[in-house]
Amino acid sequence: MSAATPAPSTPDVTSPSGTNVATSETANGVNKAILDYLRDKGYKGAEKEFLTALETQPEASTSTSSTSSTISAEDLVKALSVYAQKANRPGENAFKDAASVLQELASMGNPATIQNLISSIDAVGAEEILSLDPTDKQEGFRELEAWVDGSLDMYRPEFRPIIFPIFCHFYLDLIQHGFKEAALKFYAEFSPSLAPTHAPTLHHLSTLLLPLHVQNDELAQRFRNEKYTVRMSRSGFGLLVGWLTEGVGGEPMGSGEGFSGKRGKRGRAAVLRVVNNHLRFDVTSSTTTSVSENAWEESTGLLTSVIPQASGSSSFTNAQSFNASKGELKLGMPAMSEELRTETDRALRDQALVERDPGVHDDLKILYNRPTQETGGVPQSELPPYPPSFRTMDIKREVEKVRDARKRIRLERTEVRTTQGVVKNQPLPSICAYTLHDVGEGVPCCTFSQDTSLMAAGFSESYIRLWSLKGEKLKGYRSDFNASSIRDMSSLKKIREKGGSTTRKLIGHSGPVYSVSFDPTSGSAAPPRYLLSSSADATARLWSLDTMTNVVAYRGHQNPVWDVQWGPMGIYFATASRDRTARLWSTDRTSTLRVYAGHLSDVDCVRFHPNSIYLATGSSDWTARLWDVQRGSCVRVFIGHQGIVSTLAFSPNGRYLATAGEDLAINLWDLGSGKRIKKMTGHTASVYSLAFSEESSMLVSGGADWTVRCWDIAAAGGPQSKVKENGVLTNGNTANGVNGDAPTTNGKEEESIETSDLLATFPTKRTPITNVQFTPRNLCLVAGSYLNPEQR
Amino acid sequence: MNKQGQKARAAPSPVTGVFKPDTIRDVADSLNVTSLSDTVASALASDVEYRIHQVVEEAARFMRHARRTTMTTSDIDQALRVLNIEPLYGHSSHNPPTFRRAPPIPQSTSGAIYFVEDEEIDFDRVLREEKITLPNGPRWAAHWLAVEGVQPLIPENPPAIPKDSDPDALAKPSSPSRPGQMFPLTPPSDRPSPVQAAKKQQQQQQTVKQVLSRELQLYYTRLTSALLPPSASDYAKRTAALASLRNDAGLQALLPYLVRWVGEGVVGALKSGAQSENDGRVLEVLLDVIGALLDNPTLFVEPYLHQLLPPILSTLLHSSLPPSHAVHLRTSAAQILSHLLTQYSTTYPSLPPRIMKTLLLALISPEKSRSTREGAIRGLIGIGKEAVRKGLVEGGGAKVVGSECMPGEEGGLAEAVTDALKVLHPPSAQPVPLDDANEPDAATIQQLKDTVGDFFAERLWGDAVWARAVLTGDSKS
Repeated sequence: MSAATPAPSTPDVTSPSGTNVATSETANGVNKAILDYLRDKGYKGAEKEFLTALETQPEASTSTSSTSSTISAEDLVKALSVYAQKANRPGENAFKDAASVLQELASMGNPATIQNLISSIDAVGAEEILSLDPTDKQEGFRELEAWVDGSLDMYRPEFRPIIFPIFCHFYLDLIQHGFKEAALKFYAEFSPSLAPTHAPTLHHLSTLLLPLHVQNDELAQRFRNEKYTVRMSRSGFGLLVGWLTEGVGGEPMGSGEGFSGKRGKRGRAAVLRVVNNHLRFDVTSSTTTSVSENAWEESTGLLTSVIPQASGSSSFTNAQSFNASKGELKLGMPAMSEELRTETDRALRDQALVERDPGVHDDLKILYNRPTQETGGVPQSELPPYPPSFRTMDIKREVEKVRDARKRIRLERTEVRTTQGVVKNQPLPSICAYTLHDVGEGVPCCTFSQDTSLMAAGFSESYIRLWSLKGEKLKGYRSDFNASSIRDMSSLKKIREKGGSTTRKLIGHSGPVYSVSFDPTSGSAAPPRYLLSSSADATARLWSLDTMTNVVAYRGHQNPVWDVQWGPMGIYFATASRDRTARLWSTDRTSTLRVYAGHLSDVDCVRFHPNSIYLATGSSDWTARLWDVQRGSCVRVFIGHQGIVSTLAFSPNGRYLATAGEDLAINLWDLGSGKRIKKMTGHTASVYSLAFSEESSMLVSGGADWTVRCWDIAAAGGPQSKVKENGVLTNGNTANGVNGDAPTTNGKEEESIETSDLLATFPTKRTPITNVQFTPRNLCLVAGSYLNPEQR
Repeated sequence: MNKQGQKARAAPSPVTGVFKPDTIRDVADSLNVTSLSDTVASALASDVEYRIHQVVEEAARFMRHARRTTMTTSDIDQALRVLNIEPLYGHSSHNPPTFRRAPPIPQSTSGAIYFVEDEEIDFDRVLREEKITLPNGPRWAAHWLAVEGVQPLIPENPPAIPKDSDPDALAKPSSPSRPGQMFPLTPPSDRPSPVQAAKKQQQQQQTVKQVLSRELQLYYTRLTSALLPPSASDYAKRTAALASLRNDAGLQALLPYLVRWVGEGVVGALKSGAQSENDGRVLEVLLDVIGALLDNPTLFVEPYLHQLLPPILSTLLHSSLPPSHAVHLRTSAAQILSHLLTQYSTTYPSLPPRIMKTLLLALISPEKSRSTREGAIRGLIGIGKEAVRKGLVEGGGAKVVGSECMPGEEGGLAEAVTDALKVLHPPSAQPVPLDDANEPDAATIQQLKDTVGDFFAERLWGDAVWARAVLTGDSKS
């Protein structure tokens, strides 16, 4: 068996897709060729047997129909291999060199089918094709899995991640070499065990069925051309190498034939080939025990292309070293200019005098607690250029900001020391839900103005609808007026439209509207004057809420614009698009100011850091990045999601970034270090929107599972402890005893995807929550469109 | 679509994916390409599948960004557009085409065929049909999803799931999709599980009970314990209780419970045979309670009449009341009935005829016991003169009763009939008997015999005026 192993592989080569039917003529030709071959080589016995076989065959074929006279190429080569094996016994192995066999076959002037076959084999390399027995991979992979499962508990989390890339490469190899059936069998056999963690990639790979697909598919090419990074401790790596070379290591008891056999060796060789060619081991000196359960997410994958590479200098193999190389970030709040502060101070005092408000001292305290350049505030010069002077509206906004800060609902956790001990009090937010009804094809986006006077929703039917939440009529200015007649406010009022209703339709886009954003310059002091929207028609549009018309269409993206977001101080805005870039614009220019390129797939969402120096983007390449707005360079990369990053949010204090992905997890990142603080799970469907409370102490998320959830930022997170799950905090044992029936415990275990930092879950009836946001006074507003049960 | 594909792949059996080479060959046939080799067909099938997956993967992005969990035809359209392929026109997501499956034809080898149903629209009919009103435009409604972390129990919010509820009810809304899901599950359906429904019902029952204040509940128990079981010593207590029922205001909330209590009490007493003294006393008390309830001016009894009448009529017409109380019980039941009718016949005009029908049936129909007939007569007296005439004279009730009475019998049934006849016309102080010899008198006697029967005719003979009045009323009507 051992010497002839290459031969059985040839039948599969000849029939990558079905069986080739040869005519009876060609069959005769082949027979002749074989006879010649055997005669040349002097295999007497084989020749005799073959002849007798040939003699019996025509009899059968003539007696029955003509179909049986055809002989498939597969049968032919099978027969050939049988004789070759038999020939082994008397003489030395004629097939010791696979290439020579092929050469000989080619030289013998075979029928066209064989010729074609041989030429196709030549293209790939005969040695390789003959060594790539599909059963090899099955064996090799099974052994790898068995080895990983049989390894010590402390190493298993380390070894698990290497299974997946090897699976992918085996599958791609099989497809690339045309073993479609074998590939599908391989997939069906081994993918279920990997599905829980790698479903999207697995599914994508399963759609590749032909060699052509592998050559053209982006993900497949990334697997082929990039190294898949796996982090491993030194001792773990040593064990892996030991197994690959010697076959030593944790074989579970009674798993059948050992690894020491020839087949085991071949399987290991296949694994070794992938390991050599396509894997990079990030060997750390850290001990294996310190690796947490989800840590692999951050350090495993096709990282080289996801991490931006600095030109010329050394390349980074992991996100941490890249983030560290980018140095410190300026995460402080922008310093308030002295003039603005004085004016705000005056305005506050004036108002307090009029209203006889005794709280003015608190107001002033809040005002003067705002960072200045000396106390860590970011000076104006560091920010993107803003107009040097301020306007009345700015003072109004600042005054309102101070008031909001004083009147805000506190959502921080407070600890009261009593005689019994420390009593922790975790306040929960009040949430007002705005449910849209009768929306037709759907509402992809919805947002509230900061002063909560307006709500805007973008529709799939390409229009935007504006509602006044205060019941006021939305009136634009008429267009038929004489400019010279406008002198003061009262004459301006006269040219307002008459009548009107509390809702208004803004028409201009020619594709579904995916994002809307209100201009933040007036803050909570006055209704916003501008609205931005982005759409599938590859434009972003600026709408004036004075005239209720479209003012500018910003063209530049080549593809649908998924998201648009104002800068925290107006003037600038950013867009994210399917064309893999995010762009920076200013409202007064129709051309792009900056292009942020580097993501490998769609940029799905974009948000500004509260100090407007940075910009975060989330992408379909499963990463989020932080960009320097002015330089246009990437300063942080956040790797850890196992799915598309669908939305993100900055904490108002500027220190954290929360991202939510299609892996149903919400990750919290520390911007300064670029490290993941924790992973929050609990949602059972996509998360659509995230928002931090004003104190940055709480995160609220809303999603397609019709729930709004509140998360504690300060808590450590992690899986829920049993005691809390049962809802009894005082005595876990008795609670377990009471609920200890088998079905109950099962249900609880399934529930345990909720991490312990989930403060509360508020279900709605049937409303997927598309937007959550906090007002400056910490009231939570959520919006979504009611999902009619009659709709499919 | 994706999920399906994944599932199909996860199963070990299918070798190729969704698209079979047969499908390709069918398409080729439709394009007049007949000589398509197997290899080409299977390669094409694989490729078509890959391309479709490409489009679907692209469409999934549009679906995600449109914040939907179901893919629509518009997503596919958008995907085709960005892939630089001409979109498929004519599919709108407003009106998704419904595919129908035609079962495979037995002879042919092809499988089931799916086709788009193309409904024929008759314009005449459409135009004739009433105009369809335009739906409202999009609108919003706001509600509190949570107030300081507590979800208010308002109709806009889903019903709260009790914390200690069974695991399957709990698992349903929060069942985590397996993390391996390519696309998130559609959210859980909000149909309440049967367990939840049952729970709800339970809750509702509880709430009804809780409508009664503690004070009223206490009053109710005190009242019923004072009234029953009746013992001689508690006489004072009982009268106090009845007086309270007769006069106190604010008992409306208790009324349904009292009515039910009375009904059950009467049924219980009559069922047990109603021969003992005690049962008689119980019935007496219960009748008193009904009387008291009807007397109370602050109570609104009308909605409960249908529940009150059965106990009254049962007492009145029951065949075997305890002998010591029988007459008294029937009389008081008849009185209550008369009281009830005078009070409610104006607002409830169909009430007297219905009750009379019941009584007449009891009076005339054969195989009724004498005591039932007696009760019926007393009831008729209670209803009034007209009813008595209808029942005894016109309906022939007196005749029926007379035939059952022994000649010369007094008391009981006979007395009741006499009483009833007295209601029609009081007997004269100096009765002048009818003269047998007198021609008109003889005719009257004959008439009397015909209408009320021999037994009572004899009694009426004695008083000519009375007898004539009984008859004239009859002739008048």
